[in-house]
Amino acid sequence: MTRLTRRAALAAGIAATGTAALPRFAIGQADNRPTITIAVQKISNTNTLSALREQSNVGTRLAPLTTERLIDLNYQSKLEPVPGLATEWKRIDDSTVEFKLRQGVKFHDGSEFTAEDVAGSFSPQHMFGETRPTVRGVTLPMAGGNPAVFTKELTRDVPPVARRLWPALERVEIVDKHTVRFVNAAPDVTIEGRASVRGSDIVSFKAFNDSPSWLEYARKPVGTGPYKVREFKPDNALVLDAHDEYWGGRPPIKTLRFLEVPEASSRINGLLSGEYHFASDVSPDQIPQIERNRAFEVQQSLVPNHRLIVFDKNHAPIADPRIRRAMTHAIDRQAIVDALWGGRTTVPRGLQWDFYADMLIQDWTVPKYDPTLARQLIREAGYKGDPITFRVAAGYYINQAPTAQVLVEMWKQVGLNVQIKMVENWTQIFERGPERGIRDWSNSATFSDPVSSIVAQHGPNGQQQQMGEWTNDEMNKLTVELESSTDRARRKAVFARMLEICEREDPAYTVLHQNAVFTAKRREFKWKAAPSFAMDFRALNWG
Amino acid sequence: MLRFVALRVGRALLTIALVVTFAFVVLRLSGDPALMIMSPDAPPEALAAFRKAWGLDEPIWLQYLRYFTAILQGELGQSFRDGRPALQLVAERIPATLQLTIPALMLKVGLGIPAGIYAALHRNSAIDRAVMTFAVAGFTVPSFVLGLLLVLVFAVQLGWLPSGGQESWRSVILPVISMGLGGAGILARFTRSAMLEVLGQPYIRTASAKGVPWHQVVRKHALPNAAIPTVTIVGFMVGTLMAGAVVVESVFSWPGVGRLMVVAVSNRDLAVVQCILLLVSATMVTSNLIVDLLYGVLDPRLRGTAPAGGGH
Repeated sequence: MTRLTRRAALAAGIAATGTAALPRFAIGQADNRPTITIAVQKISNTNTLSALREQSNVGTRLAPLTTERLIDLNYQSKLEPVPGLATEWKRIDDSTVEFKLRQGVKFHDGSEFTAEDVAGSFSPQHMFGETRPTVRGVTLPMAGGNPAVFTKELTRDVPPVARRLWPALERVEIVDKHTVRFVNAAPDVTIEGRASVRGSDIVSFKAFNDSPSWLEYARKPVGTGPYKVREFKPDNALVLDAHDEYWGGRPPIKTLRFLEVPEASSRINGLLSGEYHFASDVSPDQIPQIERNRAFEVQQSLVPNHRLIVFDKNHAPIADPRIRRAMTHAIDRQAIVDALWGGRTTVPRGLQWDFYADMLIQDWTVPKYDPTLARQLIREAGYKGDPITFRVAAGYYINQAPTAQVLVEMWKQVGLNVQIKMVENWTQIFERGPERGIRDWSNSATFSDPVSSIVAQHGPNGQQQQMGEWTNDEMNKLTVELESSTDRARRKAVFARMLEICEREDPAYTVLHQNAVFTAKRREFKWKAAPSFAMDFRALNWG
Repeated sequence: MLRFVALRVGRALLTIALVVTFAFVVLRLSGDPALMIMSPDAPPEALAAFRKAWGLDEPIWLQYLRYFTAILQGELGQSFRDGRPALQLVAERIPATLQLTIPALMLKVGLGIPAGIYAALHRNSAIDRAVMTFAVAGFTVPSFVLGLLLVLVFAVQLGWLPSGGQESWRSVILPVISMGLGGAGILARFTRSAMLEVLGQPYIRTASAKGVPWHQVVRKHALPNAAIPTVTIVGFMVGTLMAGAVVVESVFSWPGVGRLMVVAVSNRDLAVVQCILLLVSATMVTSNLIVDLLYGVLDPRLRGTAPAGGGH
């Protein structure tokens, strides 16, 4: 028997301690990944980081960073769908999609990602509350079985957002530990698209249940993304640390710091003086100033968001569709793009995007610039020069006030009397009354199908109709068909007709240009801006 | 004295009541918090749920009644944006604001008053003109313009100081200078005027004629008598300590009460705005009360204005 002396025990203890400590020390020494500071105008409008509450464009910035969806978007290409937390998926029938989940994925708290988390993320407790699926405008009755047990109060505005994303989702069935089925209450060809939308993020259901309240959880969600939330100081800073067990490879940045710097000039000054490595939300006129210094460059992203002018057809001077059509033909969109955007964006093919793929109406265009036709339409409509009110809340969109002024001049050229009324906020823009005429807006497509845009924004449940600005019976019937039909050829024809109604026949809006965002950065960082508001700091986009 | 204080306190409470009422009327009638916070693209059902959750769907008079009753009970409400108590949100920002406003006040007093005294004692000299030129420039150039200028020189060009944020003690320097120089200019102007007025008084001539050394004449006779207008201005500056500096905090990305105010107003986050207004008005009212009391200390003739306790 070997005798253990006190000295030997001490030596063994020291050796053991050293063995345990040294590798970690070595790892710590080897971790020379940078800490990157990004100045942004706003981190979150709602003071939360959950996409179910923070549906804004600024919230999209974090999309590829903290939480992930079953189907991801290719941020390095054209936002086409790619496997995310699901490795493959297949249609069981028109209403059901089965997803095979990625194995070996770890949440930020170290727990394993399983089908339970998918079902939990799409549960009444986390997402839907007591709402029920709606099919063709009819809400289905409560299902039988055990009702959901709510351990914490769900913030009231979340279920309506969840139901807009998933209007007819009946349930998520767990097939096995790594397989789930999304069962819809009605046929829907967009289930896969909806699974890729912000708001369909998968969170650790255990961490959610352990959190004291929904809002507290939403300030520090536990996801599977490459970065985990260390600290969130609303209106001030968000600090994310690398999630080294990320399934997609070790994140290239040790710590990401998003600092809220509301003033554009302060963001640029901070970039130029070396405090920030990136400055987001740069306006086009600031680009030459930044790039004068060779150490910096500005990257542009054409985002899936189009700038529009929206019509209120109850406003007497534009009640006649010919006046609205005249307005669409009086706009030289390319001149706006060239003069105010330095040619850094494009005029799209109406309210659609290239990533619609087989649903893209290739030969569709915005109304052509034709002042002669505009004048003719105005004459035919018998327009007497009554003022058309244009409510503008300058500062919400890039170049908003200059664009409004240019438009008013273009309309004046063809004989339309459009008068700008500056207001402070959206409440004042939407205020109902005979004076409400036209306004600014932008529309996004959240997934690769027109349901995500023309239906969501101009259909019967979209903002424009809900605000009482515009409606069209045929458009509303087509909306139901586009949402429920599974005949792809017919769906495409329906979408083409919708564009014709909304952009030509009875204009609801007119598209001006695609929106672009500009990110200034040090040239030394090999990073590429995504065609989205999202900022991608995964390994595949660094170095 | 008791009646004097009671009157002042009563007036202060009335002022505060008017301020919160005004805030309610302006904020609630000029914007819908649901649209501001949830964004105009939120589904109508979500907007309706938000309004219901916060009682924004009730008649406006009922909302006002609830709002005012809650204040009287010391309940300052919760932020519409994230559901946390408004007082907690504001309290979190106060240290950051005081980090700027207290040094800025010290700069104003420490630079402005001596400069004003010096200029008055050297009236019409080159130094007087130089001091007054800087003073006028100090308070006519807006603080944000000065701030941007300082950032361009000391952060962007020279790289000596940070352009913003709250990273280290060095981050304080530029915002404090931006805020302090204007106030120092104002104080220098007021101090100079007050001193010149006092220096022309017969009792100054008398003291000098009696052979009192000039520095004693200035210290014992001129300065205390010239202090009243200066104390009034300093009192006003103390009153604004809590309000922070809305523009400077934005330019320097400083996470203080001023920036919280901007965000809260633009989101119509009524509870937070109300909490800040109460804090600011309470500071202002307290500071005015202290100034009123100081008048009596500085000038015995003014003690008579305190009806109950004034000694003659």
